[in-house]
Order: sequence, then structure tokens, then C-alpha cells
Amino acid sequence: MRKIAIMLVFITNIFASQFNPTIQEYINTLKKEVKKGNNSFVDFSIKNGENIFTSSHIGKKGEKISCTSCHNIDLTTIGKNIFTNKLIEPLSPNKNPNRLISVKDVEKWLRRNFKDVYNRVGTAQEKGDVLYYINSK
Amino acid sequence: MKKLLISVVLLSSVLFGQNGVKPVDNKLYLKECGSCHFAFQAGLLPERSWVKMMNDLENHFDTDATLAKEDYDTIMNYLKVNSSEKAMNYKRSRKMTNSIRGNQTPLKITEVAYFVDKHNEIPLRLITQKEVGALSNCMACHTTADKGIYSERAIQIPNYGRWDD
Repeated sequence: MRKIAIMLVFITNIFASQFNPTIQEYINTLKKEVKKGNNSFVDFSIKNGENIFTSSHIGKKGEKISCTSCHNIDLTTIGKNIFTNKLIEPLSPNKNPNRLISVKDVEKWLRRNFKDVYNRVGTAQEKGDVLYYINSK
Repeated sequence: MKKLLISVVLLSSVLFGQNGVKPVDNKLYLKECGSCHFAFQAGLLPERSWVKMMNDLENHFDTDATLAKEDYDTIMNYLKVNSSEKAMNYKRSRKMTNSIRGNQTPLKITEVAYFVDKHNEIPLRLITQKEVGALSNCMACHTTADKGIYSERAIQIPNYGRWDD
């Protein structure tokens, strides 16, 4: 049983190590924050992140919108800001090495875009989930 | 002959100032403001407009555009130093500044009288078409807008072509 647990931790670490070190630190702080309110929390979920990213909500402008409205369903493609027509470089870190590099940028966009789409800030759980999803693309 | 022409051009730019508007020369401004929309030159609005805009970035045209404190300060300072009334040697800054009344603090470049006057003959369908979307999408028609040049010969309207005033 203990071996399995160690294995599980090991596997989780492999997945987690896909983040760049500074972002990983940020993920760790998010984890701590989630654990404070939820003892049974183990790890963030790509699946939940996908739901956060693809589901539609009434956003800050009072219109139905999802993250995919501007970033597309396929994160490796070039998106477009539906309000300004400005092109958006792919969000996928595999396609675009400039993504998920700076904690400052990540925090800024999570703050702004949760408000744009959800009309509120994201919880630590949601932020972690959606970062796992983006990082998996 | 060529030398003479160059001298005349140089002399006139000294006497009458620069033609367009000063191009954006601040990397942080380009990055922070230019990731969501065209990075409008600071010289397109007066200081009081930029200050008013920067005071409510949380509701920036109904979008959250908040910045980290240090970036906010840098950008605010850049906008103040380069605002239209401080760039009167540039033709477009001068015209924009002079067309705004003292009691006005416009937040939309597209609502400044000089701008409106320059764009009011363009058919709506050319503005709302998907290649353009809105008048705020400068680069859609002004091919050199990012260089601060909005001259007529650099206009190329999608599905229409050149614009003759």
C-alpha cells in the first residue's frame, strides 16, 4: 500500500514537472490555498479545467461568452479577441513557448479573464484546474 | 535636385513639425495595452483623458484591464509625458488636441471631433464588415498606423481599396 502511495506521488510529480519551475511554485501556492479549505484535496484536474475553459457564462459585458470565444477550442490555433478583432497568439505552451512562463502574466490574465468570462475572480481551485488544462494542450 | 528635395522636406518638417503622431516607443505599453487591442499612440488623446481612463482599468470599456502596480505607474507616466497636448509638433496630435473642447475629457479616440470629421464619410458597411469590426481597429485600413502614419496614401480598406477624400 505504501509503495502504491509512493508511486502515486512519483507519477503526480512527473506530471507536475511539466510546468516551468516558477509556474510550478505558483501551482504549489494554489494547492496550499485549496488545502486550507478542503482537506481531501489531492491535485488539480485537467478535466475540470476543460469544463472551466469551454463552458459558457454571462461575462462582464453581460453577454454569453466562454474562454474559447477568443482562444478557440483548439488551443494550438491563433485566437481573436471578439470585441477588438485583435489576434491572440496560441495559448498552448507546446505551440507557443511564451505561454505559462511568467507568474506575473499568468496571474494577470487569470484575474482579467475570469472577470471577462465569469464576471468574478476565479478560486484557487479553478485557477489550478484551468492551468492544468492549458498546460496539457 | 535630389539633395534640394531632401533639404526642402527636412526644412519643412522643422518649420511645420512632424506629420503623423509619435510612434509608441515603450515596450511595456506595447505589451500591456497592445495585447488586447491596437496600441493607440499616446499622442492621440490629452493627458486628462489618459488619467481618467487609467483611473478605472477595472472597467476598461467593460473589460478588466488591471495592471500590476509597477506596470501601472510606468504606463501612466508614459501616457502623461507623451499625451497629445505635449506632442503638438506632430500634426495628428495637434489636430486632435485642438478639436477637443476644454470641458471635454474624451475616453474614446473615435469620438474626438477631428477623428469623427475624418471618418464620417466612410459607409457603415465598410466599418462593420468582419475584416474591420469597428473604427477603433486602426490597422485594418491604415496600413502604417503602428508607425504613427495615418496618411491617405497608406489607407487600404478591405473589400474597397484606397480611399480618396
